[in-house]
Amino acid sequence: MLEMNNLPIRYKLIIHFMIISILPSICLGILISWAVNNVISKQVNANTLQLIGNANKSLESYVSEIQNITYLISFNSDVKNFLYQGENQSTIDPNQMYDIQKFLQGFTTLHSEVAGILVLNSNNQYISNEMYARTSKKLTEEQWYKEAESSKGIFKLIGHTSGRNITTHYNYKDDEVISVVRAILDPDTQITKGVILIDLKLRVVAETLKDVRLGKSGFLMVIDNQGKSIYTPASPLVEGIQKQWFADQMSGDFSREIDGQSLEFIYRKSPFTDWTTVGVFSTDEAVSEVQEIRFYLISFIFLVSFLGVTASFYLAYSISRPILRLMHSMQTAESGDLTIRPMGIRLDEIGMLGRSFNAMLTQIVKLISLVEVKERQKKEAELRILHANIKPHFLYNTLDTIQWMARKNGAADVSEMVESLAKLFRIGLSNGQDAILLIDEVEHVISYLKIQQTRYKAKLNFDIQIDPAVTTEKLLLLKLILQPIVENAIYHGIKERRGPGHIQVSVTLEKEYVIIKIADDGLGMSKETLDSLNYQLSHTLNEIQQQSTTDDSDQEQIALRVNRMIGGYGIMNVHTRIVLSFGEGYGVSIDSQVGKGTIVTIIHPIIIDEEGAGRNGNTLETINRG
Amino acid sequence: MKKLLFIYVILISTFLVYFTFYHFREVNTESWDQIDKGLQGEINEKYVMVTFLSGIDYWKNSFKGFEDAAQLLNVSVEYHGATQYDVHEVITVLEQVIAKKPAGIAITAMDPEALNVTINKAIEAGIPVVTFDAGAPKSNALSFLGTNNYNAGVTAAHKMADLLGNKGKVAVITLPHQLNHQQRYSGFRETLQKEYKDIEVVAMEDGKGDQIKSQMVTYELMKSYPDLSGIFVTEANGGIGVGNAIKELNQVSRVKIISFDTDKGTLDMVRDGVISATLAQGTWNMGYWSLQYLFHIQHNLGQPVLDWKEGDVPLLPVNVDTGISVVTKSNVDNYYAK
Repeated sequence: MLEMNNLPIRYKLIIHFMIISILPSICLGILISWAVNNVISKQVNANTLQLIGNANKSLESYVSEIQNITYLISFNSDVKNFLYQGENQSTIDPNQMYDIQKFLQGFTTLHSEVAGILVLNSNNQYISNEMYARTSKKLTEEQWYKEAESSKGIFKLIGHTSGRNITTHYNYKDDEVISVVRAILDPDTQITKGVILIDLKLRVVAETLKDVRLGKSGFLMVIDNQGKSIYTPASPLVEGIQKQWFADQMSGDFSREIDGQSLEFIYRKSPFTDWTTVGVFSTDEAVSEVQEIRFYLISFIFLVSFLGVTASFYLAYSISRPILRLMHSMQTAESGDLTIRPMGIRLDEIGMLGRSFNAMLTQIVKLISLVEVKERQKKEAELRILHANIKPHFLYNTLDTIQWMARKNGAADVSEMVESLAKLFRIGLSNGQDAILLIDEVEHVISYLKIQQTRYKAKLNFDIQIDPAVTTEKLLLLKLILQPIVENAIYHGIKERRGPGHIQVSVTLEKEYVIIKIADDGLGMSKETLDSLNYQLSHTLNEIQQQSTTDDSDQEQIALRVNRMIGGYGIMNVHTRIVLSFGEGYGVSIDSQVGKGTIVTIIHPIIIDEEGAGRNGNTLETINRG
Repeated sequence: MKKLLFIYVILISTFLVYFTFYHFREVNTESWDQIDKGLQGEINEKYVMVTFLSGIDYWKNSFKGFEDAAQLLNVSVEYHGATQYDVHEVITVLEQVIAKKPAGIAITAMDPEALNVTINKAIEAGIPVVTFDAGAPKSNALSFLGTNNYNAGVTAAHKMADLLGNKGKVAVITLPHQLNHQQRYSGFRETLQKEYKDIEVVAMEDGKGDQIKSQMVTYELMKSYPDLSGIFVTEANGGIGVGNAIKELNQVSRVKIISFDTDKGTLDMVRDGVISATLAQGTWNMGYWSLQYLFHIQHNLGQPVLDWKEGDVPLLPVNVDTGISVVTKSNVDNYYAK
């Protein structure tokens, strides 16, 4: 079964189709041939039995005709006189004899099947036209006479007699005639007065029986109740037929083998003549009709097999070929060629499968291009920042010069401030790297705060708390993510507040996250503002994605949008960059209360710098060189 | 596709093998039937013998020959005839037989002329007809098988002369309207006239082919010609009648009788010396060869001709003499049935 399962599908289909088409026709063939065999042999037997019955009827009619003749003869008064004269007269009156002979001649005139009629009285005197005694031996002592006597006036068929003391003038031999006898009794005394003997020509029996043909070579034969043959045709098979086979029943049928020939025997006994008519025919011949039907059946099965095989192959290939083609397409796609599109227009299941495969390929191609778009967008955003940094780059160089000049001129505070500003720009540029060391980032924000402190004097206080673990590790941070938030805290928090404000920046490590908190005790935000801000934070990314999927080509639009975020919404910019770089789960969250202040929390993954360069540095570097 | 081709080849070759096997088998079963056939007809082929006075013993030997030939050739035979000495009845019977379209008819022409039309009608209907014993020479019957009756008459004349010592008066009892009997009579009479001048044929009487009638005729003759020393009877029944008459008149030793045919009664009288001699005909041969001839024509076995019905070229011997032999007391035992 397992092996079957491992076969190629077309062989499975071929085998199944063949089994479905050929097996039933073979079964049907066998069934029909069996049924036909039964029906035909039954019919043949019934027909043969009927033929035998008809033959028996004609034999009976011949015999009963003869029987009637014996009665007609015995009714004749001359014959009666002759029979009753018995012992009284030793000679026959010639006139009486002439009359009786004329009378008997009438019967042979009408019945040419009668070979001879002999009337014998108990005194051993006889009258006949055709027959006479061979010797002077008494005819009344003959076997046939005694048989007639013992039948007591009842008609008796003797069949072929042999060795009787009677001869027919026309040389009818014993085996050419069938003898019929009837004793004439004195009605009062029941003494036999004489016997009428009639010889019936076997020829008429033979003609009747020969006329019945059983198949091509079958024949009929007749045997009497003693098992002696009445009529058997000249066939070499007759020798082997044994009479006792037919002894038991009135009719029946059986098969026997004689001289290597299988023969069918059907027989029926006539109760009137007490003869059994036997039909003999070859079994082969009986089944020759069956053979013919079987021949047609087998021819039909061959035809069905032929068509079945053709149809099986066609069907199997028509199913397996598209599957194979689909399989090849899949293999091509598997090896990387996504442009392949199997099938033309098929409406069946395989066509549907092909279409699904096509749809899947299209989807994959689309997803791949989406990923490309996202990547490009990220790069675009970086590029914008770079562009924004180009101006500070020039500024940084100038500031360096100013600081140098201020120190030369002895203006220490100017020098310090310019130094901070210069550091701010330097770190901000950071060779165009995407990520910078966390320490640098912190220094960058300190520089910024120092500058702002110079501006706001006592109004702005700040302190930086850094987890000691952070300083030991060379942790990388996405660049410029603190400054915009601190800027926001100053402009929207501290600046709006009365009295001096305080900004606290803390960096801690929690599990795999770097948690940076920027807390101010400024004005804070109303609940609505906070909610809308948080909503925007959680939806910025979706917005970008949607735009990129719905409108791939419109890159300008997105660039503008991102730009606006940087200019207007520093927090958004930071959040978007973190999410684009590291995915959902990272980013910015805001908590705020009116009058108490705002805490902005940045969740950033821990990235350890191993190469001494920033993450994604290579790609950005190339752009930066220009 | 190679596999498919392979399967096709296997299928077709298997079928061909089966087909040849089946065909061979069929031929094989047919051969069983061919055993021991020889010249064979069909059992439903019916040949008919038509006679007149159909009950008389004379025909029985012919019919036996007819039957024996039928058995040999595996065909059926039937016997029909006019029960009376009546040519109209013969015609009726013959018409009835023709209506049944038998395979052949052997007929004995009671009258040499009267049956011609009916015989020709049968030939036209495609039924072969031969005549036996008594012919109808002007009909289209294909053959005649029988005794040369004139010669029979000649033989009888020589025997009579021998019996009478070449002198005396003789009478003939015959059937004067029947060709064969006319021929026997003329053969007898002409031979005596030519060769035995001292023997005189004093009377020719009609015995009607009947025993009693002939007996009566004999009484008349004996009354008219008391010195009659020989009687030639041209048929058997009459012979017995004549024998009985002579016996009754106690003239057996003086009146010599020559009869015809070999039925039981005649033979008995020959043995007893009542009849001096009788002429035996080849009656069995007539019947036997009649059927053989008819069978040959029916199966186109004779001399090849375009249409046997035309009768221009005979298929078979047209005239067959079945021979005659003289039966006397010395050889009579040979003529009894064995």
